[in-house]
Amino acid sequence: MTPSRPDLDVIVRMVAKGARVLDLGCGDGTLLAELNGANGVQGRGVEVDEAKVRACLSKGLSVRHGNIEDGLADFPDGMFDVVILSQTLAYLNRPLQVMREMARVGRSAIISFENAGHWRARRQAVRGDGSGTPLVSGLPRVRAITLEQFHETLAQLKLRAEERVLLPGWRWAEAWPTLWTEVAVYRVTQA
Amino acid sequence: MIVHTQQITFEQALRLQSGATLRPVTLAYETYGTLNADRSNAILICHALSGDAHVAGQHSEHDRKPGWWDEAVGPGKAFDTDRYFVICSNVIGGCSGSTGPSSVDPTTGRPYGLTFPVVTVADMVEAQRWLIDALGIPSLLSVTGGSMGGMQAIQWAVSYPDRVRSAIVLASTARTSAQTIALNEVPRQAIYADPNWNRGDYYGKEPPNAGLAVARMIGHITYLSEASMREKFGRRLQDRERYGYEFATEFEVESYLKYHGNRFTTRFDANSFLYITKTIDYFDLSLGYPDLAQALAAVRAKFLVLSYSSDWLYPPEQAEELVRALLRNGVDASYVEIKSDYGHDAFLLEVDRLGELARDFLARLERETARPASPPEAPGTSMRGNGENVYPLASWAAKARGALRLVAARRQETA
Repeated sequence: MTPSRPDLDVIVRMVAKGARVLDLGCGDGTLLAELNGANGVQGRGVEVDEAKVRACLSKGLSVRHGNIEDGLADFPDGMFDVVILSQTLAYLNRPLQVMREMARVGRSAIISFENAGHWRARRQAVRGDGSGTPLVSGLPRVRAITLEQFHETLAQLKLRAEERVLLPGWRWAEAWPTLWTEVAVYRVTQA
Repeated sequence: MIVHTQQITFEQALRLQSGATLRPVTLAYETYGTLNADRSNAILICHALSGDAHVAGQHSEHDRKPGWWDEAVGPGKAFDTDRYFVICSNVIGGCSGSTGPSSVDPTTGRPYGLTFPVVTVADMVEAQRWLIDALGIPSLLSVTGGSMGGMQAIQWAVSYPDRVRSAIVLASTARTSAQTIALNEVPRQAIYADPNWNRGDYYGKEPPNAGLAVARMIGHITYLSEASMREKFGRRLQDRERYGYEFATEFEVESYLKYHGNRFTTRFDANSFLYITKTIDYFDLSLGYPDLAQALAAVRAKFLVLSYSSDWLYPPEQAEELVRALLRNGVDASYVEIKSDYGHDAFLLEVDRLGELARDFLARLERETARPASPPEAPGTSMRGNGENVYPLASWAAKARGALRLVAARRQETA
């Protein structure tokens, strides 16, 4: 597990043994391979980059080369126990559509994202130094998401948070999570 | 690797999709490697329009030209003949040892010519199934092929879902497009226009080589891409410094087409070309179904589908259509669009990336066959997040749900 992706450990713990999993934007298959090994999961993935798809297949994974936003429509309702979207939400053009589709094809969805409400992100935004740059991945993103915005989105889509892990996970930070959370991991189901 | 083409003849009649029958049926085939004790390591390779059973190796030590997919098939290669028992047979309708229009019709004692029945991809697969039965193979580890070979691989998974554990489909489609039909019809017209064709009755006489050569030239154009032609030939002249302002073979690209067109006439039968292009045109797995997904409902095989970015004969969109239809049925289908400038020919030329993908895919199949995946557990047994990190929401929600269930249970008791 790469140190820059602390959410992956959390996601692995959230997925039931033997679950049918779909990982959207699965990259080189690190998470899926981890799930296959640790949890005996039957994992599938969707990834847009050819070299990464090939890396997945070389790990013995089943991956479809393509765009997340187009690709979900082909999966039947409830085909998966869990659909994962790890740190990809901020880069999607149609995030609501994707979340709605995740809830359709999966019995639950795990979504992780970088919290744009973190105090350092706010300071960056105020100073104008790299406000569009997330804290962890450093990639340019389409939008910034805060915990509050995510909660509103869940309510709008009639999704319910079953489980939530806030990283880095200091106990005292729970008093004011929106300022102290770098990465949030949610497991949601249809309300 | 020295290999010999074998032949097997079935005396029973093959009932074709058209309603016609074909009898007897001879298949030319080659095998490589050894069938293992539990007969579980057999891979069937299906060839494309102009291929034959000679997929790899040499026919003799002096044979200069190896089989058509020698880069991918052999000891230590992607389709590793040290591990797998590889089979390749010439399609019916062909002209390389299997029954086709140039074969002798036993009822007349003369070559079939145009009295040969039109065969479909399903008919080709049915004949291959007879061969697989004769070889004593209960189920194939994989069926693979590019172009029309890919069509056969998909057809196998549809026709015999219990006998195919996987399909590797390259540069192919589940239904031939209007463009491909058009690109088959023009070469056919070139053959019809050759007076030597004589409505297919030319055996023992001068064959329609001029027409067949033009047909092949058109084929070669469709196998390349604009980029690969630019790279391969550009505007370079062949054996001359300046334009002759005459109707001669001047450009390298003309010379290439002429060479390949002529060479093709020494190894291929014009009638077989007509029949096999017709086979491709008729291929539409969705025929008789509301949509392609429903046509693929029986499929149990795992799929690896590859397309090539510059292939305009079977463009990536057509492979994606197949993959979408497979996924709708919950089939385990992997898909990669390989970036390549080689056009349709890429499935024969981009062997490195294909080899790696096929090798890993086959290795996964073997692992999964050895150790079947455990069934999914019931919902609600998921491991919860580590207590250090869990925000109270989750445990609170769980408690609330528990309380509600308790209330509901009590209500039922009292009711």
